Amino acid sequence: MDATIEIQNLRKRYGTTVAVDGLSFTVAPGRVTGFVGPNGAGKSTTMRVILGLDAPDEGSALVGGQPYQRLRCPLRQVGALLDAAAFHPGRRARDHLLWIAQSNGMPRRRVDEVLDLVGLASAARRRAGGFSLGMRQRLGIAGALLGDPPVLLFDEPVNGLDPDGIRWIRGLLRSLATEGRAVLVSSHLMGELEGSADHLVVIGRGRLIVDTSVRDLLAAASGDQVVLRTSKRSEAMTVLANAGATVAATEREEVTVSGLPADRVVALLTGHGVPFSEVAAHRASLEEAYMELTRDAVEFAAPTGGEA
Amino acid sequence: MATTTADRHAGGDSRDSFGRLVLAEWTKLRSVPRWALAMLAAVVLTVLVSVLAAAGNSYGGGGPGLPIGPDGRAVRDQFYFVHQPLTGDGGVTAKVLSQIVVKGESREWAKAGVIIKESTKPGSQYAAMMITPGHGVRLQSNFTTDRAGSQATTTPRWLRLTRSGTSVTGYESADGANWAQVGAVQLPALPRRVEVGLFVASPFAIKVERQFGSGSVRASPTSSTARFSDVVVTAAQPGQPPPWSDQAVGGSDRVPGPLLGGASQAGGVFTVTGSGDIAPSPQDVDGVRESLTGVPVGVMVIIAVAVLFITSEYRQGMIRTTFAASPRRGRVLAAKAIVVGASTFVVGLAASFASVLFALPILRANGLAAPVFQVPSLSDGPVLRAIAGTAAVLALLAVLGLAAGAILRRSPGAIIVVVVPLLIPQLIAGALPLAAARWLLLATPAAGYSIQQTTAQPYDFVSSICLPEDGCFTTGPWVGFGVLCAYTAVALAAGFWLLRRRDA
Repeated sequence: MDATIEIQNLRKRYGTTVAVDGLSFTVAPGRVTGFVGPNGAGKSTTMRVILGLDAPDEGSALVGGQPYQRLRCPLRQVGALLDAAAFHPGRRARDHLLWIAQSNGMPRRRVDEVLDLVGLASAARRRAGGFSLGMRQRLGIAGALLGDPPVLLFDEPVNGLDPDGIRWIRGLLRSLATEGRAVLVSSHLMGELEGSADHLVVIGRGRLIVDTSVRDLLAAASGDQVVLRTSKRSEAMTVLANAGATVAATEREEVTVSGLPADRVVALLTGHGVPFSEVAAHRASLEEAYMELTRDAVEFAAPTGGEA
Repeated sequence: MATTTADRHAGGDSRDSFGRLVLAEWTKLRSVPRWALAMLAAVVLTVLVSVLAAAGNSYGGGGPGLPIGPDGRAVRDQFYFVHQPLTGDGGVTAKVLSQIVVKGESREWAKAGVIIKESTKPGSQYAAMMITPGHGVRLQSNFTTDRAGSQATTTPRWLRLTRSGTSVTGYESADGANWAQVGAVQLPALPRRVEVGLFVASPFAIKVERQFGSGSVRASPTSSTARFSDVVVTAAQPGQPPPWSDQAVGGSDRVPGPLLGGASQAGGVFTVTGSGDIAPSPQDVDGVRESLTGVPVGVMVIIAVAVLFITSEYRQGMIRTTFAASPRRGRVLAAKAIVVGASTFVVGLAASFASVLFALPILRANGLAAPVFQVPSLSDGPVLRAIAGTAAVLALLAVLGLAAGAILRRSPGAIIVVVVPLLIPQLIAGALPLAAARWLLLATPAAGYSIQQTTAQPYDFVSSICLPEDGCFTTGPWVGFGVLCAYTAVALAAGFWLLRRRDA
């Protein structure tokens, strides 16, 4: 099966609330696609439509070229974590995974394998109701991984996790993508995707804002600025301004330079005998890039409705 | 669902995948300890309530002095008998001129005709040809056999009985010339010397009076009078015919003096007045049903588990995992129905079998015993039907609960929607007029309990008291069961439709 998700002109309305409004994007294999937007932007709705849980009013969502309902052993093709608390609290972790495995004809040993994989082997016989939030997330992820699927969906997987858990999930997402799977991860905080997402689909109020690779986005947000740290601030600014750069004093010993690459800055300063302690190309954070982007694109001040 | 070529090609695989779904649902059901405990509690509760109820009941029986019939069971054998002895083969013929019920309200089964009886001792063997105002000509014998002749209820009517060895044959005729055989019965233990003659009987009038809030059952004696002519006793052994004698057979203190009857003869016309009945003793207590008293209690627990089996998934959001794992939702509901229905059937079988097993001996010790009451045995067909049927009713109610849960998606609503129509009719039926009570207990899911009926209306030629709240359904055990099946099927269909139509 072709490990892709294709969303075409998707529209979904709940009563009078439009949750998704003409959304189109593609999730490609071999990379982690971050699916970002504020609460209520339509991320969860889109994921439910992909999984055939909610029927779209218009448009389509195809997994490997097929509607989800057409898949015969869907968990072998798509794994999903929608809600970490979606289990009966009285059921043992192992039994919870066992019924999922049985429903798609997967062998019993696969349950133990995924429990090992997510680090829950020692808690396999414990009731899921007594799990911490982190363990619940791990159990949900174990369920998604059961069928060893080429396509994976995670809805807010790092929500409420401790730093250890976040690091673990980032590593997992990266390795899943490296294995060639298509991974779609939603989040309402761009920062959570820092270091794991290769590609970003940003939506707001059910509409696509941007569909771009992380590298392009960061480059665009960083511009070609260079940050210079020096004790002789005014001398350095003079030298660089004379060379045609735009310079700004940003901190007591810091100057931000635009219009000159870093190596040219170093050559100029060395040539004029101006001492400096650091010259670095500026790197915007994903969060900054996201703010930059959304400031222009959409007014988020008052998102309507709940998490849809 | 759109049937595609892919679906059709996957036919074999599809049966396979349904088996996997059933297995997955079974894992779900068994892996929540609270549900398993609840099922166990349902069994314990059912048996406990059944046993306690049985221990608290006592049965006085049908009153002292009921004679015992040839098969060892209590019978009613009370009538006015004009008779003479007959030795060896022979017969009796009479023309019933008229039949009038002189006192009382019920005339349907008033009887007048000719009879061959072992002796005048109540409970002894007999065969009788009779005419009844409500059911035409009948040939009856030994209390439990009844064969219909013509539907003629008008007099005059000719009736004849002939004995040949142990066989007695009954005939009827409209004119005394052309005779039609009604049937022949075997009375293997009939002695050589018997009593033959005329008889008149008139059963108690049973009146059930019910209004909202009150009810009463009254049985009042009646009597009827018949006139006979052309009475001929033929004997194989010739000789002087013995004289007629007459007496009230089985006269008891329950019949007031003036109703005991009498006979007179003038110019070949006999006028006979009699009261009472020749019939099996109607059994108003259904021992098997009495021993299943705990079932309506245990079923509450079972319905709750069945509802939670699907509503808990909605509550926790797990239904999305379920439907993502198997996008064909109708199959999920079918798998759930099979799992919850089969599990409940097994649990229900244990509960109802144990209830009957433990409660029946207690009921027997408390007076529900032969000869007044039929003693049900665990191997009797109707008893097995009641036990297995009760388990089936529980299974159907569980599936009904599941379907309600699928439709409503909330536990409290679904439980109420199933339990209330099940419980309320049983609680209020006793306070309703008979017709309303019968309708209510046949039109609601509670009708399913009619499968527990084992003894009601065993003989359609005896009027008995049949109250629906006591588990007596005039429609028999299967109609009510069918009603419950229909409710369950409709609820499941609605569940299928909604599951497929709605977003999960």
